[in-house]
Amino acid sequence: MALVKGSNLATLPVPQPARDLATLLADLAAAEPSVRRAAARDLALHPEAAMAACDRLVMEASPSVRAVLFTTLIHLQSPAVAVRLAALLRSDDAPLRNAAIEALQEMPDAFAAHLQELLADDDSDVRIFAVNILGALRHTQAPVWLAGVVRSDPHVNVCAAAVDGLAEVGGLEALADLEDLRRRFDGNAFMEFAIDAAMRRIRGE
Amino acid sequence: MATATVAHLKASSPVMTDEEFAKFCEFFYRKTGIQFQDGKKYYVERRIADRIEKTGSDSFRDYFTLVRFEANGEELQFLVNSMTVNETYFFREDYQFDALVGGILPEIARTKRRGDPIRIWSIPCSSGEEPYSIAISILERWDQADSWNIEICASDIDSKILHEARKGLFSERSVSRVSAQLRSKYFVPRIGGDFQICDALRESIDFSLVNVVDPLHTHRFRNIDVIFCRNLLIYFDDVGRRETVEMFFDALGPGGYICLGHSESMSRMSSIFVPRKFKESIVYQKPLSAE
Repeated sequence: MALVKGSNLATLPVPQPARDLATLLADLAAAEPSVRRAAARDLALHPEAAMAACDRLVMEASPSVRAVLFTTLIHLQSPAVAVRLAALLRSDDAPLRNAAIEALQEMPDAFAAHLQELLADDDSDVRIFAVNILGALRHTQAPVWLAGVVRSDPHVNVCAAAVDGLAEVGGLEALADLEDLRRRFDGNAFMEFAIDAAMRRIRGE
Repeated sequence: MATATVAHLKASSPVMTDEEFAKFCEFFYRKTGIQFQDGKKYYVERRIADRIEKTGSDSFRDYFTLVRFEANGEELQFLVNSMTVNETYFFREDYQFDALVGGILPEIARTKRRGDPIRIWSIPCSSGEEPYSIAISILERWDQADSWNIEICASDIDSKILHEARKGLFSERSVSRVSAQLRSKYFVPRIGGDFQICDALRESIDFSLVNVVDPLHTHRFRNIDVIFCRNLLIYFDDVGRRETVEMFFDALGPGGYICLGHSESMSRMSSIFVPRKFKESIVYQKPLSAE
């Protein structure tokens, strides 16, 4: 025995031609996760199926199928998809919520269209998640939006998250806003520490 | 005439504008999953200038038309071959081979049905150093090797380097980490100081051309037990990485493993694999109850 040349791999059937949308949607509800995974992947070729993929996401229990659904939604990104994914920021299911954050980070323009609404949300946790997304968003306006949070959000943890974000993507123009924030939360040791760290990072010290 | 035009281009002006560079990168990414940042423009430009000259194209625009619309895809393959990096050597990052023979394979052997093959996939395999190192490690250091049928598949997107891998001819530098004892056992000295892998080993590896972003290439890889995918994903963007590891998830059998390069971490790409530590190596496992 020991090393043998693979023989079985070459005999596998070639994949079927692209399946129609109705078949894919039916497969998305199949019992077998590998069938759902394949359907979720192929839905990336059907922009009209984005909402169906979002619907499936909230009921899908298999982590591997979820992962593919998120990847497909990144391909099909639109403001409407971003709205549906942003709704998952309220989920108690932490892996689902984190996967939504990662997916939203991959759709800068679609997310940006919905951003102000999220930054004005009554729930400070939702605002923190939105700020976390901003900190890794490939969008030229991200530092401007983070500075806006620093200037206006009343919640200390939301502001602290924005300070973290500015440490990553902020420029020298953010320094004045950070000094103002220090005064706004005067005496808060953690904020003091976070602002000092961010300013050092921005200055390249 | 065309050559003169290109020579002129090389001497006095960029081969392509920034806009053309962006367009080319988008096309190349779509076809291969490989992404070039702005800092790589010189690298890309030099190789394109060479292909413009070799194909007798008049300009970047002419050449780009050829690459995009040529029915047999031959020029695209030449371009891919010229853009890929193939620098490697035997027993590179050998702590992963230690993990393979000392931990991963024994664990697979405990759960696998007798008679079923153990499948290992090396991708990208470049000029063959990695799959041959895997083979030698198994034959030399896994005491159960003779009890199993072990299939080693080795794939790369670069057809020229695959040809080199099949030939199995290596320089002194490439085999510098191979002991004299292993050299005499698995290599044949050739004229010019090169070393050729023995026929038995060469013939035991299944080499194939595979583009990881093309499902037509990857669909046949199923029930793989261990994937070595080292220093490939660093060239992909986040979405390309996600798609590739999801493809690997389908290719692996339940409980299968992925070994990544030392600077790569699965946690930044996907949460569907479980990190496992074997000796000095962190590898990633598809859960046994994976679905």
